[in-house]
Amino acid sequence: MTSGALDPAAAAADVIIVGSGAAGGMAAYSLTKAGLRCLMLEAGRDYDPQAEVNMFAPESDAPLRGAATPDKPFGYFDATVGGGWQVDGEPYTMQEGTDFRWYRSRMLGGRTNHWGRHVPRWGPYDFKPFSRDGLGVDWPIGYDDVAPFYDRVERMIGVNGGRIELENHPDSPAGCLMPPPKPRVTEMLIKAAAESLGIPVRPAHTAVLTRDMPDDVAPRSACFNATPCTRGCTIGAMFQTTTSFLPMAKATGRLTIVTDAMVSRVVMGAAGRAAGVEYVDRKTGVRHQAKARAVVLAAGTCETTRLLLNSGDGERPGGLANSSGQVGRNLTDSTGASFRAYVPALADRPRYNEDGIGGQHMYIPFWLYQQQKRGELDFARGYHFELGGRFGIPPAAALPRVWGPALKKAVRSASGATIGMTLRGEMIPNKDSYCEIDPAVKDRFGIPVLRFAFRWSQNELNQVAHGQRTAHAVFKRMNAVILDPALPPEKIITAGGEIIHELGTARMGADPRSSVVDSYGQTWDVGNLVLMDGAIFASGAHKNPTLTILALALRASERLAERFKSGAFA
Amino acid sequence: MTPSRRATLQWMMSAAMLPLARWSPPAMAAESGAAPPFDIVADWPDTLPEPPPAKGYGRDPDLTKPVAPWPLTLSKAQRTTVDLLGDLILPADERSPGAGTLGVGAFVDEWISAPYPIQRADRAQVLGGLIWLDAQSRAMHGAAFDAITPAQRVELLDALTAAAPAAKMTAPVAFMDTLRYLFVLGFYSLPEGKADMGFIGDQPTPGDYPGPTPEALAHFAEVVDRLGLRES
Ligand SMILES: Cc1cc2nc3c(=O)[nH]c(=O)nc-3n(C[C@H](O)[C@H](O)[C@H](O)COP(=O)(O)OP(=O)(O)OC[C@H]3O[C@@H](n4cnc5c(N)ncnc54)[C@H](O)[C@@H]3O)c2cc1C
Ligand code: SF4
Repeated sequence: MTSGALDPAAAAADVIIVGSGAAGGMAAYSLTKAGLRCLMLEAGRDYDPQAEVNMFAPESDAPLRGAATPDKPFGYFDATVGGGWQVDGEPYTMQEGTDFRWYRSRMLGGRTNHWGRHVPRWGPYDFKPFSRDGLGVDWPIGYDDVAPFYDRVERMIGVNGGRIELENHPDSPAGCLMPPPKPRVTEMLIKAAAESLGIPVRPAHTAVLTRDMPDDVAPRSACFNATPCTRGCTIGAMFQTTTSFLPMAKATGRLTIVTDAMVSRVVMGAAGRAAGVEYVDRKTGVRHQAKARAVVLAAGTCETTRLLLNSGDGERPGGLANSSGQVGRNLTDSTGASFRAYVPALADRPRYNEDGIGGQHMYIPFWLYQQQKRGELDFARGYHFELGGRFGIPPAAALPRVWGPALKKAVRSASGATIGMTLRGEMIPNKDSYCEIDPAVKDRFGIPVLRFAFRWSQNELNQVAHGQRTAHAVFKRMNAVILDPALPPEKIITAGGEIIHELGTARMGADPRSSVVDSYGQTWDVGNLVLMDGAIFASGAHKNPTLTILALALRASERLAERFKSGAFA
Repeated sequence: MTPSRRATLQWMMSAAMLPLARWSPPAMAAESGAAPPFDIVADWPDTLPEPPPAKGYGRDPDLTKPVAPWPLTLSKAQRTTVDLLGDLILPADERSPGAGTLGVGAFVDEWISAPYPIQRADRAQVLGGLIWLDAQSRAMHGAAFDAITPAQRVELLDALTAAAPAAKMTAPVAFMDTLRYLFVLGFYSLPEGKADMGFIGDQPTPGDYPGPTPEALAHFAEVVDRLGLRES
C-alpha cells in the first residue's frame, strides 16, 4: 500500500523511517509536524484495527477456545499478524547452548498493536547504573534530560496512573496522567498482604485512556472497561501507532507509507553519508532503492542491529556505524518468572465486574534500593511484580482431582480465587549475550539472518530467587496455597528474549570508541543515520522500555529536525 | 516441556493476558505405592493410529471469521463415549446443563484433532485413554464403557480420579486429568458455563471503572480481618 504525496521511486524524501512501531510512529509524527517529508518503509502488511480487530467475540468463537498455539502464541484473537516467536521464511539462529526467543509481528504499527501497555517511568538511578554499582555503563544523559520528554509523551500517547512516591520512581508532574482505575479485590488483597511485609503496592502506569482524547484526525475514546486489549482497540483507548501517530502524521500530507517493504540494507553515498536504503517488496520479491537526506532506523532493537551489520562493505567489514565494535553487543532482555497461588480466603467470593482496563491496575515497584546500597542483597539492580487475578476459569492446578457435581462446585468456588505475581527484572549486559550475522543462513529474501548468543549471569539468577522468596512470602501471608513447583531460579527464569524487552545492541555513550550513537541516536560514524529504537539503550532497567523508547525517539526526532533547519543536510 | 507450552505458561498469569485459564497439568503424586483399585488393570495401549495430515490456521487468519481448518478425527463411537463422559464429569444440575449435552464433545474433538504440539500430546492421552477405558470395562464387566451400568461407571471414574494412583494407574489417571480439564475449558468458556460461574463482564461499561460492589468490599473487609491484615 502506498499513501501520501511522495513517489519513492522518483523523488528523494527528507527522511526515510524504517519501521512503524513505537519508535517509527513517534519519528513520523514528530518529523512531519516539523515540516519534513518522510517515507516510512514497513516490512509488515497494511493493518487497520477498525476493520480487523474482533473486539467482542467470545473466546468460544475461536478455534481451541482461543488457546495459544505456535501460530498465535498469545491466543487466536491476539492482534499479532504474520509472526510470533517465528516468522515463516525469516528465521534466526542461535549459538550452541543458547535459548533465545525473538518476538516479531509483520504489520503496520508493529508490536504496539498487541503489547502489554505497562509504561513506568525510569528514574535517576536507571540512567547512571555504573555510578551506583560499578557494573555496565552510565548513559550520557540523566533523568533530568529525559523528564521533559516523559511529560510530553505521557500526554501524547495517553497514560493513566497514580502517584508512587518512592525512591527512583519519579512521579509525573500534574497534568501528565489520567486518573487510574479503582483496584480489584485481588489487587487490594495483595496490597494488604504485601504492605504488611513492607512491600509497596501502587497504581500502575498504563497506556490506556481513562478520559477521551479529542483530535481532528484521530480522536480516541476513553476505555469502556470490557475487552482484551491485546486484540487491539477499535476505539483507540489503548495506545497503538495505527490509531494515533500514523493517521496524524499522514494528515500532514508529508508522510508516505509503503508496507510490505522489507529493508535489507542502508545504502551509502558520498562523503560517508547514507544515501538511502534498499528494500525488498515482500509480495513480489523485487528489490528497490529509496533515497533520502537522512535515514532513521526504528525496526526494533534486533532488526535495526541486523540492518547495520548487513550494511557493511569493503571499507566497513564489521558492518555500518561499527567502528566501536559495539554493534550487536550488550544484548539484554528483562528477567522474568511467574508465581501463582490459590487463595482459600477468596473462594466463592461475591461476583462483580472485574474486567477494568484490561491489564493490571496495581503493581509492585522495586523497593529495596536502600538495602541494596548497604550491601544487604546478593544481586544488583531491581525488579518489579505485575499483578494478576480475576474471575474466570480457574487453572487446572487450583482444582482438586474430582468429577461430577464436586467438580462443578470446585470450579465455581475457585473462580476468582487464584492470584499471580509476574516478575520483570533488570539484566546487566555481559560479554556472552549478543547478536551477530549468521555466516551461513539467509532468509527467503536472501538477507543474512541474525544469530543469537545469550546467557543469564548469577546476578539475574539471585534476583529471580529473591523474587520467588518475596512472592511466596506474600502468598503465605494470605494463607494461600502456592501452586508453583519448588524449583531453583535457573529452572524458573524465562528464556532470553521471552519478555520481549530486547535492548542495547547499538548503545549510546559519550565516547565514540565504546558506543555506537550519541544521546540523540545519531551514529558516530554516519552523520545522517539516526537510530531510534531500543538498540540505543545503554542499560535495561527493570522497567518496561517503551515509554523511554518513545521519549528518546521524540528527543532524537526534534534534534534531527533542528539539524535540517540549520542546513546540516542541504 | 515444549517451548510453546512453556511460553504459554509464562504468560498465563501475566497481567496483560486474558483471564481465560490455560491448561497446565496438575501435579501427579509421585509413585504412591497404593494398591491397584482392581484385580486386573488393562495395559495402556502402546500404539495409536497416526493422525491424518492437517494444517493449522496459520499466522494471519481472518479474525473476523474464525474457523478451525483441520478435520475432526474422533470416530462416531469415540465421540459417543466422550459425550457420555462429558455428562458424567460435568453433569446437569440446577445451574447448567451437562457438558456432553451442551456439545462440549465437539470442542474435545476439535482440540485433539488440531495439528499443534500441545494438542497432539493431548490427543495421544485422550485416544489412548478411550481405548484403555473400554479395555478395562470389558475386563471387569464384559462390555465397553458405553454399555455398562451407571454404578459400574462411577466405580471406574472414582479410580480415575484417585488422589494417589497406583503405579499401573498413572497413565489412565493422567488421561482423565487431561480430559477433565478439556471439559472444564470447553464448558466454562461457553455462555452457559460463564453463567454457571456467575461471571459478570464482557460488557462495555463507559466512564470510570466502578470497581468492587459494596457486597464485594464487605467480603474483602472480612477477609482482611480474618487474616489479621491492616486494611489499607
Ligand atoms: C506481548 C507483548 C507485550 C509487551 N508488553 C509491554 C509492556 O507492557 N510495556 C512495554 O513497555 N513494552 C512492552 N512490550 C514491548 C513493546 O511492544 C516494544 O518495546 C515496542 O513495540 C518497541 O517499539 P519499536 O518501534 O522499537 O519496535 P516494533 O514495535 O517492533 O516496531 C518495529 C517495526 O519495524 C518493522 N520492521 C522490522 N524489520 C524491518 C525491516 N527490515 N524493514 C522494514 N520494516 C521492518 C516491524 O515489522 C515493525 O512493524 C511488549 C511486547 C509484546 C509483544
Ligand atoms: S479494555 Fe479498554 S483499552 Fe482495552 S481494548 Fe477494551 S476499550 Fe480498549
